[in-house]
Amino acid sequence: MAETFALKVVTPTGIVFEGEAEQVTAVGRLGEFGILAEHINFITSLVPGLLEIKTAGGDARTWVVSGGFAEVRDGAVTILADSAEEPSALDLSRLDAEMAEAERRISEASFYSDEYESAEHDMLLALAHKQASELKSTSR
Amino acid sequence: MPTLKAIRRRIASVKSTQQITRAMKLVAAARLRRAQEALFNARPYSESLARVADSVLAAERESLAPAEDAKNAALLVVVSSDRGLCGSYNVNLLKLAEETARRAERDGLEPRFFVIGRKALDNLQHAGAKIAGERINNPRLASVALARDIAAHMLSAYRLGEVREASLIYMQFRSALSQRPTYERLLPVAAPEEPRAEQDGAHEAAGAEPEGAAQAVDYLIEPSRERLVPVVLRASVEAAVFHALLEAEASEQGARMAAMDSATNNASEMIERLTLEMNRARQAQITKELMDIVGGAEALRG
Repeated sequence: MAETFALKVVTPTGIVFEGEAEQVTAVGRLGEFGILAEHINFITSLVPGLLEIKTAGGDARTWVVSGGFAEVRDGAVTILADSAEEPSALDLSRLDAEMAEAERRISEASFYSDEYESAEHDMLLALAHKQASELKSTSR
Repeated sequence: MPTLKAIRRRIASVKSTQQITRAMKLVAAARLRRAQEALFNARPYSESLARVADSVLAAERESLAPAEDAKNAALLVVVSSDRGLCGSYNVNLLKLAEETARRAERDGLEPRFFVIGRKALDNLQHAGAKIAGERINNPRLASVALARDIAAHMLSAYRLGEVREASLIYMQFRSALSQRPTYERLLPVAAPEEPRAEQDGAHEAAGAEPEGAAQAVDYLIEPSRERLVPVVLRASVEAAVFHALLEAEASEQGARMAAMDSATNNASEMIERLTLEMNRARQAQITKELMDIVGGAEALRG
């Protein structure tokens, strides 16, 4: 069995997960990354995307996070998510509208404006929701 | 002496007031429980974020100093309530807000208020204070979105050099019976060893103890420290504002619960007193009627 580490997933409204895990995958500013046991002390920022964990028992769990940070400190991993949605709680009917709205905003915003950044954020979030919904339909 | 009928009417009116205050007390107690829960749930995130912020921002204090040409102004975010009937909650808060504004003026900074909640807005407007913005009729349990909105305002005013510093003034929840007005400067960022929150009346930063041990951890930071700084800064201001909103909500409900509890007790006392008075009035009336009858009988016999 793979080595495990202490993992905590927290949001401003509460603890989402706390326990031993084998692996965490998340999307950082520089792209998707994975964390296994014995990782070096590490801090990075997260962009909207899927957060996937494999618990010590071998269960896989997934959330859509809208941003935040990942921290590894002395082997313990903390994911500080701005928000974490369960894929099962997604509103599937809104996915296409959300995506279209994000696309419209990103095409209208100037690359250097704050609006672009916020539109990009929403775009990534819409993509993550879509990914999560596909995941949901294939795995169950 | 008031008539029997008038006293009865008073008692009925006090009783119905008491019913209202008792109901409000119960509602406040239920909301307090929910607010405390939210406060408790927010703690792990705040603690982890504070650790990350300390490590990322520690080496960046200089780049986070106010702009050279920043205006001599201070942004004071005052978190009050939309509703009244919560005892001295808003009074105590506003007292600290005024004190802070006076202190800023002494330091040569023009105080500008950003007001949360109708109560402080009414009061500060009346006093002629400079209002930079307001958020009233807020949802009862603080939302992350509201915190983000307020934080964005603080950060942009600071970044654009409209103000030299930005701070929060709110009621800190200590227990249902005790709330403490608190001043907390968020920008410029305080050094990690310097306590951020000051208690009412103890403004001159108490002897800061150097506590370097916690800073010893060396992190690999991606993409780079420079690029992470604004993100961490924003997140930590947001978290601080969110936390203050939750503290304020719990404090407000605690204050209202205590105020309504004493109002209910006062009503009971008043009903007791009025009942006594009513009995006395009734007794007097009966005596008077008896005297009349006896007097009449005597007259007939004579």
